[in-house]
Amino acid sequence: MVRQWFKSGSPWIWMTGGAVSISLISVIGLLAMIAWRGLSFFWPSEVVQFEMESAKGKHTVIGEIYDRELVPTSRLKLAGLDTSNIQSENVERLLVKTGNREYVDLDFRWILETDIKAATKPEALAVFERTKNGNFYAYVERVIENGESVTDQPIERLYELVDRAVDLNDEALSLQNGEIGHINYELERLRLKERSYALDNALTDERVAELAAAREALRKNYEVYEAQLFELRKAAKRDQVVVRDMRGEEVTLPLYQVLDVWFPNDMNFFQKLGHYLVQIGKFVGDDPREANTEGGVFPAIFGTVFMVMLMAVIVTPFGVVAAIYLHEYAAKNAVTKMIRIAVINLAGVPSIVYGVFGLGFFVYMLGGSIDELFYPEASPSPVFGTPGVIWSALTLAILTLPVVIVSTEEGLSRIPSAVRHGSLALGATKAETLWRIVVPMASPAIMTGLILAVARAAGEVAPLMLVGVVKMAPTLPIDGNFPFVHLDRKFMHLGFHIYDVGFQSPNVEAARPLVYATAFLLVAVIVALNITAIGIRNHLREKFRSLEH
Amino acid sequence: MITVAPQVNQANSQTKFDLENLSPELTALEIKNLDLYYGDKQALKDINMKIPKGQVTAFIGPSGCGKSTLLRCINRMNDLVDSCRVEGQINLHGENIYDKRVDVAALRRNVGMVFQRPNPFPKSIYENVVYGLRLQGIKDKRKLDEVVERSLRGAALWDEVKDRLHDSAFGLSGGQQQRLVIARSIAIEPEVLLLDEPTSALDPISTLVIEELINDLKNKYTVVIVTHNMQQAARVSDQTAFMYMGELIEYSDTNTLFTTPVKKKTEDYITGRYG
Repeated sequence: MVRQWFKSGSPWIWMTGGAVSISLISVIGLLAMIAWRGLSFFWPSEVVQFEMESAKGKHTVIGEIYDRELVPTSRLKLAGLDTSNIQSENVERLLVKTGNREYVDLDFRWILETDIKAATKPEALAVFERTKNGNFYAYVERVIENGESVTDQPIERLYELVDRAVDLNDEALSLQNGEIGHINYELERLRLKERSYALDNALTDERVAELAAAREALRKNYEVYEAQLFELRKAAKRDQVVVRDMRGEEVTLPLYQVLDVWFPNDMNFFQKLGHYLVQIGKFVGDDPREANTEGGVFPAIFGTVFMVMLMAVIVTPFGVVAAIYLHEYAAKNAVTKMIRIAVINLAGVPSIVYGVFGLGFFVYMLGGSIDELFYPEASPSPVFGTPGVIWSALTLAILTLPVVIVSTEEGLSRIPSAVRHGSLALGATKAETLWRIVVPMASPAIMTGLILAVARAAGEVAPLMLVGVVKMAPTLPIDGNFPFVHLDRKFMHLGFHIYDVGFQSPNVEAARPLVYATAFLLVAVIVALNITAIGIRNHLREKFRSLEH
Repeated sequence: MITVAPQVNQANSQTKFDLENLSPELTALEIKNLDLYYGDKQALKDINMKIPKGQVTAFIGPSGCGKSTLLRCINRMNDLVDSCRVEGQINLHGENIYDKRVDVAALRRNVGMVFQRPNPFPKSIYENVVYGLRLQGIKDKRKLDEVVERSLRGAALWDEVKDRLHDSAFGLSGGQQQRLVIARSIAIEPEVLLLDEPTSALDPISTLVIEELINDLKNKYTVVIVTHNMQQAARVSDQTAFMYMGELIEYSDTNTLFTTPVKKKTEDYITGRYG
């Protein structure tokens, strides 16, 4: 029987099918886990009020349940806790996010199930999302508008006042980063201009006067904007809310620090869903706050996509041209073969080595020389002689070059020689045949190379830490200041963001869900980039469908 | 197996040329002492022949006899084979095309070629036809439209594709694709058109259409055709050259070659004893 079964070939099918299933399950499992842990973070979870009673006495804990686990009683005993009232071997404990960071030692705490005397979910409990010190959980006592308590529907008024403060803050921020940032940028350019005149010994009185006039004009503008900015900030600081926290004390929260307020225990499903989507929107669209443990990751998404696209723009022409030479022009001898093997093996060099090379060659040598030649006025501070987005893109371009070369060569070798001969027989030269027929027909293969290159580059972190990525970049590589694209700037990257939030964060518990959320976002960005590229490739394939007979 | 010599198209045998002493005005191509080697192996041995203008000349012979190789010499497609070496001359307008000063691209514009399998470019029908003109830098839309119509009519394809000129050429049938390739070649108005077994990949009806087309083409072009099909050679050609093992065995007008071959090998071949 068993022999029969083996002979039938079924075990082979089971084995191969099993291998596919395991791969599939691990991929789906990975994505599902990251997505679940990352995305569930944004759901407005209910806030629980625990009445605690332990050996130390009675107290109240208010917060979101973050995690729960079973611990052996013996371990608690070892930790010095009184376990006389616990009979069971294990006891459940809860991790509660209590927020209110400035008034308690830790904004996360473990509480023992056995100490909980009562757990309620009062509808009046509010969550305040703040620009500083994280969330605040408390009961709203009074809303103070312009120094006076609001008596008529204070909660509705609170929502309006929070919106007002948020709008004013946004306005102030855009003024600060936009107009005032622009003036600072122009002032810096004037300083560099003056310095370069001085270096050329061309700093005439006329020019000094010119520069001074320009500066004066900018300064006047600056004073106007500054006054506006102070006005906005003052207006934003007008209102407060008085709340009662879990210690039972009244605390005054200035509304200009409050980003949002909600009552999770009083929300129905659709309100929660709306809130959830808004929170995800903020995560994707906002700047990070509080050492990256709060707020959004927009600069990191932007930096990742921008750097990858810049890399693609650099690596594609280089790789394609190199592949064309290797495949079409190079003599088919041992040297070519060696070069090809060397190129393929380049893909196996650890990426950190590319980072070291990028730092030594691009940043210090190339960037340093560029600074010496073109930016002497900026010295001693470097312009290009320091890690930046262009050097990151170049480093990753070298890292992914072999992939593009190999795929392009493969594509070139698949073009039927009949088509080449057809073109040559019509009086085309080899170069004309290449550019008009062969390379367009190989374009789907080139896109395949690019897809692999993008997938590899978007996930690299190690080399970037040496050649341009930073924890916090104050400005994006593209903005409204001339010349609009700043390739010398440092940038943020989702991969590095995960590392930074996960390992360098002062608040581990607060950062954990963000690690998952950012990881999910990184996967989503890579998938989006790849789907775009695959879409283009399928379009090209349809267009250059090879001869079918 | 063919046991009887094929019927020769009587229309083809009206004008007879003295192929040995063809006058220069009537000569399209003159092949002189041509030897060709692939590495150490000699593939063509001392070929001498004159191909008359405005006629259809067929090369026949068993597989591997060198007929396609000889055809490819005429527009120097053999240059693409790395190990290939050519000695001797092929004269076009009295000039040796193997001369170092010859521009190969210009030669190929003058000597067009159609291959065994249809090889349209992955472009529209229109773009396929104007490819050669675009290479020459012609951009005038009216001129291009005119050439497309003339060439497609010349290749007997116009009526079938005039409503879908901008569709992909891959949508055509094999026979239509082959006629498109012929249209593409005649769009640049070559003097000589080389056809390398143009119907071997086609069905009988498409073959018939192409054979009729070849008959029309000789009014404007000198046609040289390689075929493994003796009936086809008999039907379409005015002159026939029989090749065997890299040598030109017999070359005369088609009628004579098929009815009264001089050499024993030719007779054996056309009566189907081998090949």
